[in-house]
Amino acid sequence: MSHVSIQSMTMHFDGKPPTKAVDDLDLEIEEGEFLVLLGPSGCGKTTTLRCLAGLETPSAGRISFGPTTVFDAARRVNLSPDKRNIGMVFQSYALWPHMTVRKNIKYPLKARRIKEGLKGGWVEETAALVDCGVLLDRYPAQLSGGQQQRVALARGLVARPDLVLFDEPLSNLDARLRDQVRAEIHELHGRLGFTAVFVTHDQSEALALGDRLAIMRHGRIEQYDTPEHVFERPATEYVAAFIGMSNRLVCKRADNGWACSGQVLAGAPLQAAPLGGTVAVRLRSEDVDIHPGTATVPADRTTATATIVDSEYGGKTMDVVARLGDTRIFARIPSGDSGGFARRLTPGERVIISFRPTDAMLYEAEADRSADAEAVGEQTSDVPAQAVSV
Amino acid sequence: MTAVATPRATSVDVGSAARWLLKPLGLVAFVGVLAYFVLGPLVRLQSKAFADGAAGYRTAFTADRIGRTIAYTIGLALGSLAIALVLGTLLAWAATRLPPKLRILRVVPVLPIVVPAIASVVGWAFLLSPRPGYLNATLRRLPWWSDLEEGPIDVYTMPWIVIITGIGLTAFVYLFVAAGFESISAEHLEAAQVAGSSPMGVFFRVTLPLLRPTLLYGGGVALLLGLGQFTGPLLLGRTAGIDVVTTEIYGDMTQTPVQYGSAAALGSTLLVFGVVVVGLQKFFLRDRKRFVTHGGKAFRSPGRPSKLAAVALLGYTFVATVLPVSALVVVSLSPFWSADIDFAGFTLDNFREIFDQSNVTDAIYNSVTISLLAVAISLPLGFVAASIILRGTRHRALRMAADFLVAIPLGVPAVLFGAGFLLTYTEGPFVLYGTRWVIVLVYVTLMLPFATRMQLSALVSLGEGYVEAARVSGSGVVGANVKVVLPLMRAALGGAAALMFVLLTHEFAASVLVRSSTTQVMGTVLFDYWGNGGYPLVAAIALVMSFVTAIGVVIAVMVGGSKALSSL
Repeated sequence: MSHVSIQSMTMHFDGKPPTKAVDDLDLEIEEGEFLVLLGPSGCGKTTTLRCLAGLETPSAGRISFGPTTVFDAARRVNLSPDKRNIGMVFQSYALWPHMTVRKNIKYPLKARRIKEGLKGGWVEETAALVDCGVLLDRYPAQLSGGQQQRVALARGLVARPDLVLFDEPLSNLDARLRDQVRAEIHELHGRLGFTAVFVTHDQSEALALGDRLAIMRHGRIEQYDTPEHVFERPATEYVAAFIGMSNRLVCKRADNGWACSGQVLAGAPLQAAPLGGTVAVRLRSEDVDIHPGTATVPADRTTATATIVDSEYGGKTMDVVARLGDTRIFARIPSGDSGGFARRLTPGERVIISFRPTDAMLYEAEADRSADAEAVGEQTSDVPAQAVSV
Repeated sequence: MTAVATPRATSVDVGSAARWLLKPLGLVAFVGVLAYFVLGPLVRLQSKAFADGAAGYRTAFTADRIGRTIAYTIGLALGSLAIALVLGTLLAWAATRLPPKLRILRVVPVLPIVVPAIASVVGWAFLLSPRPGYLNATLRRLPWWSDLEEGPIDVYTMPWIVIITGIGLTAFVYLFVAAGFESISAEHLEAAQVAGSSPMGVFFRVTLPLLRPTLLYGGGVALLLGLGQFTGPLLLGRTAGIDVVTTEIYGDMTQTPVQYGSAAALGSTLLVFGVVVVGLQKFFLRDRKRFVTHGGKAFRSPGRPSKLAAVALLGYTFVATVLPVSALVVVSLSPFWSADIDFAGFTLDNFREIFDQSNVTDAIYNSVTISLLAVAISLPLGFVAASIILRGTRHRALRMAADFLVAIPLGVPAVLFGAGFLLTYTEGPFVLYGTRWVIVLVYVTLMLPFATRMQLSALVSLGEGYVEAARVSGSGVVGANVKVVLPLMRAALGGAAALMFVLLTHEFAASVLVRSSTTQVMGTVLFDYWGNGGYPLVAAIALVMSFVTAIGVVIAVMVGGSKALSSL
């Protein structure tokens, strides 16, 4: 195990047009830390991971694992992947179909000539750790997706590498298995304490697994912090959008407060002292409440009147879409009793929406909504086409 | 290939255009017709061989030179296979390591397939004949060979026939192995690298084992092609007494009276080899799942791009295509063939002469029209056969029969088919000998494997979704196939048509037996001129033949898109 350090790493891709996949990136990963690189497709997270593995060669910068420099553009140092002591888990599992599970797991030990591990039963030990002890003599094609990913996990861990790299390992699994394997990875990390870098575009995976998260955009790190801080205090509007604050109210300073789509917000004031004339308010849909048009709203909440567009029943909660001028508001409110207010919302109904100013994050409004489009709009395309067709 | 081998898609609905055929009666009739085409000639030959207490077998296997003939046949097949496997795999490996800007070079090793075998054999003769061969003449300029009157290479010997055949087969192996490389996902190789293997280690421990089915399959095909080699041994070996089974069959068939029995008996040896090779292939490839890598990114070489790779590909192309074709060009422009090239005396007279002779122009016309007709007949036959193989769960026996029948022409040398068709259609009930129809029938039969396999793999990869979507949107069976399946298969159909047209305009081995003096094709006319020693005219015809083929390829690419060429 070792401390991993990336210094001013840049990666160009020639092409039309040429792109900067990673842009002057600095990253320090503490020994035993579980770092999650989070971001939409094209943000450079996978490229960063592949540079750590040595599968891509950065255009500039320095990477070191503990005392060993594995890449240094200036000194022309570039250790090939086999010379870096790493393990890696791939999105497509990449188990070699012509080898049994045992041979797959044993491979890193043989390739790295770790005699101690070959004799010491590390293969069986690691397989047991991921619950695959009984599968050792089968071929990968005979396993289910979840089993294959567990075997891939064992293969990545068996040689006890300095650094374990995960390239969206859960995105080919169905929802239930994903939660299960995620929990296992978390448990294994707690038990073995390896240093890990985990790439994903799924915020719940990131929050659950990471000791720290690095949210990436255009090859740069937008925020590098603990999951709690990222979730509760997103540093930029882009991070806020990516981490689930899907409501965006553009508010302009008016004589008597803040106005959104021409309507002055009532109730508790927004806390936007240091910002200029226009702010973007970011809110989670869970933090927005809906009240009857005639109700009295508690004084600690900011309010506005809106029109219901649609509402969906979701079991314990209702997903409501309302319109405030030309701004769409998403609210997730408790369903309440059958026949209650939340269940009876009809399109066109006038209601009051409210939120606590402390739940809102305020940012200097960007000219357009690119942060939204980047952070949310592209998420669905992040799953490669092959993954779907398999 | 893998998709074809596991036709799990039996529920696929794409063959629904042929649904009326799948009604058992129509199905039986279709398979019956296939069987008549494919098996009929072979059965008739065998009945001749077994007539008079197997007199044919007695004649064939008591001849003095039978042992030597079989030894030459196996030697040629194994020798050329060894060359082709090594060269083909190395070239395919090189193709994965091309720098991005030179990726286009991946197609050049396929060029030898576009040049007709008979043309390139003639070209090699022009290069390596002991006395007037251009390459020999050049080598004699070297100080240590300057005292030689002829040589140092004699193309009319076994080793050089093997080498030339091997260089030609390399292109086939390359095609298979290059496709095999493409189908290995990059992540499987990266996983091995990350696990601590050097690039060499990755190649030998992961890449090569994953290629095993490809190598076995491609090697098997190359071995069958090697066993059935006819053109090279006929043109280069026969005068020097180097006979293989196919040329012996040709000898029997061109005697008067025709020795059907003995020819058929000789052919049986090739049938046995073919069955053994196919059987071994099936045995070794029984667990294909173990070699299929799913998902991840497309193949990317773990090594760094290398200019050397381009040099290797171009070097092979130079030797296999440029050299023989240049020899053809030089001879075709010269008044006569001699070791000294007289550039000043170059003339187009030979081309004028061949286009003045009606037998040559007729042959070109025949080759093109017969090939087109045969392609037009084979494609729908192949579509029906592919549909039966794909969705034949209810008629398992018929499906297996269809699968088997369309595979046979690949395993049986074309010479043997030529002999069988000659026998079948000079006797009743259908006397077609002397007409162009007998050639059409042979060509259709020879093309069945290609027409079926290529459409089958296209149908399998298409899956059932598109047709189901069309059907639930209100398309009828025919509408769904015409509006959805055909456009989606355009590239595959273009590719299949291109491949078949190219192979048919090259066809020589079967044609030389079923042709008659009034019905010639390009290959047979060329052969006649070769026999008469009209070398400059031979060269001119060979070039015209290559040109016709090239036009076919270009049209196919225009129709089927650029993918048509890669499916070649």
